[in-house]
Amino acid sequence: MLAASVTFARALRTFGMSTSVDSELSFFRALAEVNVQSREELYWAACATFVHSPDERPVFDSIFERFWEGQPLVLQARSAEHGESDPRMGGAQHGGEALPQFRQEGKSAAAVDGDKNRATRDIPTAEGEQGGGNQQRGVLAAWSATETISEKSRLNYESDELAALRQLAEDIKRSAPERRSRRCRPSRGGHRLDMRRTLRNSLATDGEAFRLAFTAPAPRPRRLLFLCDVSGSMERYSRVLLASLKAAVGAARKAEAFVFATKLTRLTKSLDGRDLDRALEQARAAVPDWSGGTRIGTTLTEFNRTYGRRGFARGAIVLVVSDGWDRGDPEVLADQVRRLQLQSRRLVWINPRPMAVDQQPLALGMRAAMPFIDEFVPGHDPRAVAGLGRLIGEVGAQRPRRQMAARPPQAEKERAPDRPVTRLPGYDTPAPRRYR
Amino acid sequence: MLGFNSIDELCNALTRQRYLVDEGLGTVVYLALRLKKPLLVEGEPGVGKTELAKALAAAAGAPLIRLQCYEGIDVHHALYDWDYPRQLLQLRAGGTAPLYSEEFLVRRPLLESLSHPGAVLLIDELDRADDEFEAFLLEFLSDFQVTIPEIGVIRAEEPPTVIITSNRTRDLHEALKRRCLYHWIDHPTLEREVAIARARLPDVGERLARQVCAFVQDLRWLDLYRSPGVGETLDWAAAFHTLGREELDQSTADLTLGTLLKERDDLDRIRGKGLEERVEQAGERAAELREDGSSSGAA
Repeated sequence: MLAASVTFARALRTFGMSTSVDSELSFFRALAEVNVQSREELYWAACATFVHSPDERPVFDSIFERFWEGQPLVLQARSAEHGESDPRMGGAQHGGEALPQFRQEGKSAAAVDGDKNRATRDIPTAEGEQGGGNQQRGVLAAWSATETISEKSRLNYESDELAALRQLAEDIKRSAPERRSRRCRPSRGGHRLDMRRTLRNSLATDGEAFRLAFTAPAPRPRRLLFLCDVSGSMERYSRVLLASLKAAVGAARKAEAFVFATKLTRLTKSLDGRDLDRALEQARAAVPDWSGGTRIGTTLTEFNRTYGRRGFARGAIVLVVSDGWDRGDPEVLADQVRRLQLQSRRLVWINPRPMAVDQQPLALGMRAAMPFIDEFVPGHDPRAVAGLGRLIGEVGAQRPRRQMAARPPQAEKERAPDRPVTRLPGYDTPAPRRYR
Repeated sequence: MLGFNSIDELCNALTRQRYLVDEGLGTVVYLALRLKKPLLVEGEPGVGKTELAKALAAAAGAPLIRLQCYEGIDVHHALYDWDYPRQLLQLRAGGTAPLYSEEFLVRRPLLESLSHPGAVLLIDELDRADDEFEAFLLEFLSDFQVTIPEIGVIRAEEPPTVIITSNRTRDLHEALKRRCLYHWIDHPTLEREVAIARARLPDVGERLARQVCAFVQDLRWLDLYRSPGVGETLDWAAAFHTLGREELDQSTADLTLGTLLKERDDLDRIRGKGLEERVEQAGERAAELREDGSSSGAA
């Protein structure tokens, strides 16, 4: 039983679940407490010790199924994988040697979306693109291997570009916006009495509290949330974009990066590494629909429903980078952008595409989203992204100027775009929408 | 440790507290008790994560100590603080008792839980606290001891049963998860939800409970922005009962929908699109359930 359990844990790890020795030990102890003859009890015991997130359940369930049926776990799994991704590599017959590599793939994929099916379906494909040619190619070669990316937009970075990125990261770090937190730090100019330190001080003066100590709220970095369009129409900007994302994620202590075309992919974990090249490569491999079609409305719906609900955009500075060329319903788009705005501190939309003469964005989706954007940045030149650091700093310093409450899209349409902001009687400043 | 000798015994004790657990949750809670490990429960809002701790404490007759997390919570709110006014007075009065002794210690929930053998400690909505606080909890959760610089290490004779809840507004740290058993509470099935409603609201009639639950179960398939939880189901059933209704009807449903759905878009959607039809469907499903229930009861 013990040996079988170890194999089980190992199989879970092979499929990208983060099982630790701690979990294994807990599982062994749990075995002593439950009836191991009962499938249900054993299942829940294993589930409680090995699974740490609802996303891991599908993987866990399938492996547990095999474990309970007494089927070989790792071997079986491995051959099945190879069967699926047959054209992947000639060296697949080497079995054992292929394993560590495979395991790593599984892990990185699971880190991104935790979805086993995608991990097994997509990663071998990405591997295939890379392995299709010579294994000795540059680390970024995988990007140019996709059919959708034309030869001239190769995602290779020159050394001066990389230097520029480091500069950008520095800029963002310097201008990173802050928010007041509920934690306190000692401060001379503070207004809240720090009893603990005051008492300590008074020990020196024989119990007289001569020297009062104060605290003030400590500033915390405000979250930066990037939502970047990497669809076909954005193709020429996407390599600069991806690199900028990397810079931002690396620079800010609280930054989240998502990219979308037809689906939403969270890139924060892929990009959050020291090694720039590797991070970019990983991120590229993690996005299944690079340069695909655009469905901004649907992907924003997905964001709002999953990450948004979990508070990713709460009080954050949200930066959407997209040209607004949407194949979906503009009503849906407008509705979702409004939702996003309501959650965020500031919603900034950066549109890298040149606009028409009348300064109105061409794309229908863009027009639909306009009323709900706090800050619209025309980024004609993709290199304007270099000014990102300054932009974030400026935007973060201001309070949002918005209507008291957002309106549903129907009402919003009738509203003139420049209607004066609602003011409370006797106050000069716009009424806050709500306290944060 | 709370004395339950089998999973069944635990489940029955919880049922007596009107908290119904399924086999998964029962097993996991039992393991948490036996292995003396903290239990981390996650799930959609309103599935009864906090209630679990309350029911467990009541079932075992143990004190429940609750620590509600919020942004900025720190050691002085969670663990201990000093009674400064008394310390100052002591200084002024020229007393000789040491200032930093147990006498002037204010015990906060975590410390409190160490001094009550067999207590149930509920750390509620840990995701609202910040990373620093989570890191601070690690020592506490793995060894059930805390270090107070002025006094020393305080250890529990008998570790408390710890239940941690999280709404997943952010990912908890891996190190913390490793120290815990984990369980994801799903929305209950229709039969179970009816049973919960009946147990929690004994005054509400069987028929109404079934219809309300059937209605809510349908809503959960709809991809609403904010799916109603069990808590909201109970509120809604109670609302009907308070208004003296014996069964689901369209006009009352329309009036009281705000107890169930708390997003304007969701409300518009349900009100706009055939509320009547939904009410009817719920009635039918409830009726089917009745037949099923009685036939299985006979068998």
